[in-house]
Amino acid sequence: METVIIIVFVIGYLAIALEHSIKINKTASAILTGVICWTLFAVASPSESILGSSQFATFLEGLKLDLADKFSTLGQHELYIRFVGSELSHHLAQISEILFFLMGAMTIVELVDAHHGFRFITDRIKTENAKSLLWIICWVTFFLSSVLDNLTTAIVMVSLIRKLIPNKDMRLFFAGMIVIAANAGGAWTPIGDVTTTMLWIGGQISTLSIMKVMFIPSVICMLTPLVYLSFTLKGEIGKASDSATKSKAADVGGGLLMLILGIGALMSVPIFKTLTHLPPYIGMLFGLGILWVVSELIHPELDEAVKKNYTAAGALSRIDVPSVLFFLGILLAVGSLESMLTLEHFAEYLAHTIGDNRIIITLIGLLSAIVDNVPLVAASMGMYSLDVYPMDHLIWEYLAYCAGTGGSILIIGSAAGVAVMGMEKIDFMWYTKKISLIAMMGYFGGAAAYLFIEHLLGKN
Amino acid sequence: MEATVIIIFVIGYLLIALEHPIKVNKSATAIVTGVLCWTIYALVSETPTEQILDHLAAHFGEISEILFFLLGAMTIVELVDGYEGFRIITDRIKTKNAKKLLWIICTITFFLSAILDNLTTAIVMVSLVRRLVPSRDMRLFFVGMIVIAANAGGAWSPIGDVTTTMLWIGGQISTVNIIKTLILPSIVCMVVPLLYLQFTLKGELGDANQSTEGAENNVHGSHAPVKGAKTMLFLGVGGLIAVPFFKTVTHLPPYVGMLLSLGIIWIVSELMNPHLSEREKKRYTAAGALGRIDVASVLFFLGILLAVAALQSMGLLHRFAAYLAETIGDNRVIITLIGILSAVVDNVPLVAASMGMYSLADFPTDNMIWEYLAYCAGTGGSILIIGSAAGVAVMGMEKIDFIWYLKKISLLAFLGYFAGAIVYLIIYPYLAVHP
Repeated sequence: METVIIIVFVIGYLAIALEHSIKINKTASAILTGVICWTLFAVASPSESILGSSQFATFLEGLKLDLADKFSTLGQHELYIRFVGSELSHHLAQISEILFFLMGAMTIVELVDAHHGFRFITDRIKTENAKSLLWIICWVTFFLSSVLDNLTTAIVMVSLIRKLIPNKDMRLFFAGMIVIAANAGGAWTPIGDVTTTMLWIGGQISTLSIMKVMFIPSVICMLTPLVYLSFTLKGEIGKASDSATKSKAADVGGGLLMLILGIGALMSVPIFKTLTHLPPYIGMLFGLGILWVVSELIHPELDEAVKKNYTAAGALSRIDVPSVLFFLGILLAVGSLESMLTLEHFAEYLAHTIGDNRIIITLIGLLSAIVDNVPLVAASMGMYSLDVYPMDHLIWEYLAYCAGTGGSILIIGSAAGVAVMGMEKIDFMWYTKKISLIAMMGYFGGAAAYLFIEHLLGKN
Repeated sequence: MEATVIIIFVIGYLLIALEHPIKVNKSATAIVTGVLCWTIYALVSETPTEQILDHLAAHFGEISEILFFLLGAMTIVELVDGYEGFRIITDRIKTKNAKKLLWIICTITFFLSAILDNLTTAIVMVSLVRRLVPSRDMRLFFVGMIVIAANAGGAWSPIGDVTTTMLWIGGQISTVNIIKTLILPSIVCMVVPLLYLQFTLKGELGDANQSTEGAENNVHGSHAPVKGAKTMLFLGVGGLIAVPFFKTVTHLPPYVGMLLSLGIIWIVSELMNPHLSEREKKRYTAAGALGRIDVASVLFFLGILLAVAALQSMGLLHRFAAYLAETIGDNRVIITLIGILSAVVDNVPLVAASMGMYSLADFPTDNMIWEYLAYCAGTGGSILIIGSAAGVAVMGMEKIDFIWYLKKISLLAFLGYFAGAIVYLIIYPYLAVHP
């Protein structure tokens, strides 16, 4: 059954990649892939490797505690069904946290945009030169993403370039570079990216050490594609046509207020998390709720129908809900591979056949372009023990770099990429043709830099 | 701390009820209320943070299941509506008589809701009524009755309503028995308000032709109608009905089945009109339908369910139920009150709390209290518009005012609720397994 599910996953992936040739929306393919993988998993007869796994044993112990004497009445099939159900609800809870976070961030940014809030930033950027603009955007993205998460950074930056670059062909390159810069910027700080945070919380890396050794590789990971584009990028950023400006909703004021509130809400998400220990989506919803109330109250003079455009209710109808469902489908599909231990087995297989940790981790980074990097890092964390590889060991730092930046190679390899794809309607194939290669160059450039630095520092 | 959380919850609830006078969208209030309840709980409570996070994660997982189910169902219905699929049914209903139409609509709603969940049924029926009853004043009464009929129809079938399903899966009730004992009370619960309106409802359905044309122009602009209305109707309704079967076969949660149906219908909708250009096609695909559904009401649900979950995690609901048991004593009175309470708070946590309060050892399968709980929690929610999922969805679709519903429908729903309850209490000694 595992083979069948892998085949379904591969076919689903191809359907997503070939969206435009087969003329089926990628969200439909992603949802079906996720659902079919789980359906097959649920109706399959349980495999030995799952029944013998430590996950299954842990689940049984928990169930024993919950059910007490009723436990012994359950047959093996019943136990397996309950196991699949509990795995699925575990995944859904995690996935939903990302999805509602994404929805919250997209709505906040959309709301600021409806009030023309970004004008206050974009008006300050005077350059008409595409290349110098690209450098500015990339560096801002890089540093913003080291503080905020990659996803929020990418959403904010794409909203900015929408205003700055009317020429759509040119803007797509900027959007691609934003994905690369956001992922690169997230890799070198413990709070910049989910996987780096996982390693930090797990005690595999320490704050100062990761920032010290990872800064240069991350910069190189972004600079390599940037330098390449500096020589090859052709075209103008285009002129904002009057009709485009006019067709947009009228400026009703309150832009600066919404900008400050919006950016403030996004920036305070990590602070909220530190104070309350509640997951980030709660902080994001809090920010959204406050902005929503403010947006309802600052335009008392407008009538209901007009006002709706300037409230979060209106913003919610403009955000790209299909990309939220796309993410749901893709993450469910990857979750089934994780629960079937396919990913873990694959990582172990790599470890056994290859032997050199550096090559294995480089490959895990490349793999993270296809499947989500979170389960990959989780699997790696389980594969290598802290006793053998202590804190700040090469493999942990290198893993943080590879899993963090490898996702840029495909547009659906990272959360930032998926969000940008939804916002700018970037085609999977366009990204593969125009950006993937330079992202890969950056990935290997940074990887080489890291290994060289480690060599100089004399570790291992 | 508990007092603070309760106060915030109550204030939040008041602001939601007073949405229109204070002019703040109820979703915004609900989100802030839910988040504040958890924030205070996390900051002030002495419960270990780990445990609070575990509770939150468990609740959030369950809430997400409901939300994605909702999102899927709403999209499918919107998609069928985009193809004008419901016209195939509405074109068959020729009556111009408001009262006769009301009976037809309520009967269809009642039985549809026994198969589909209340929410989907209400959404489907309201889209139907939009076409059949152009006069808005009249339509609001129809919509109110749809809420009552959908909740009543859901109570007597194990797959008809979330709370009944919970009791069914938990082993508190069995399929045949719940249908046998609750169908009559459920019918009474719907027929009593219906009879009342039979005598008091005044007004016309309105001029159908004019406004239907108007609506058509809104949806389709100058485009010729696309083909595939019939296919989409069958696929859509079939997809919704298949969800409980999917659940029975795979044991996966209902939202998975809903997403499967959505995925299939989505692909069909993409392939249905190959001659159209990308732009024209978009409005007839699920992507277009997703742009038209009311995402704000999904966030409303998220906020309100999070808030109730906070109360539940803090043990407040549980203690309240125990307090009721101490002061009142008679289970029938308590459950009747729980039903009325379910008009204010979500019935899912109420039933969950009740399932924890009474053990299966004391009250075995098909005991009177479980059946009565299924009835009360299922139908009591009709008393307020925010009391049930169906009501909330309908409120979003038809922009029904909380106060309007309170004035015009609540009393009717209340009468139906009590009439059905009395019928159940009279007949259960003759039908129940454990009298």
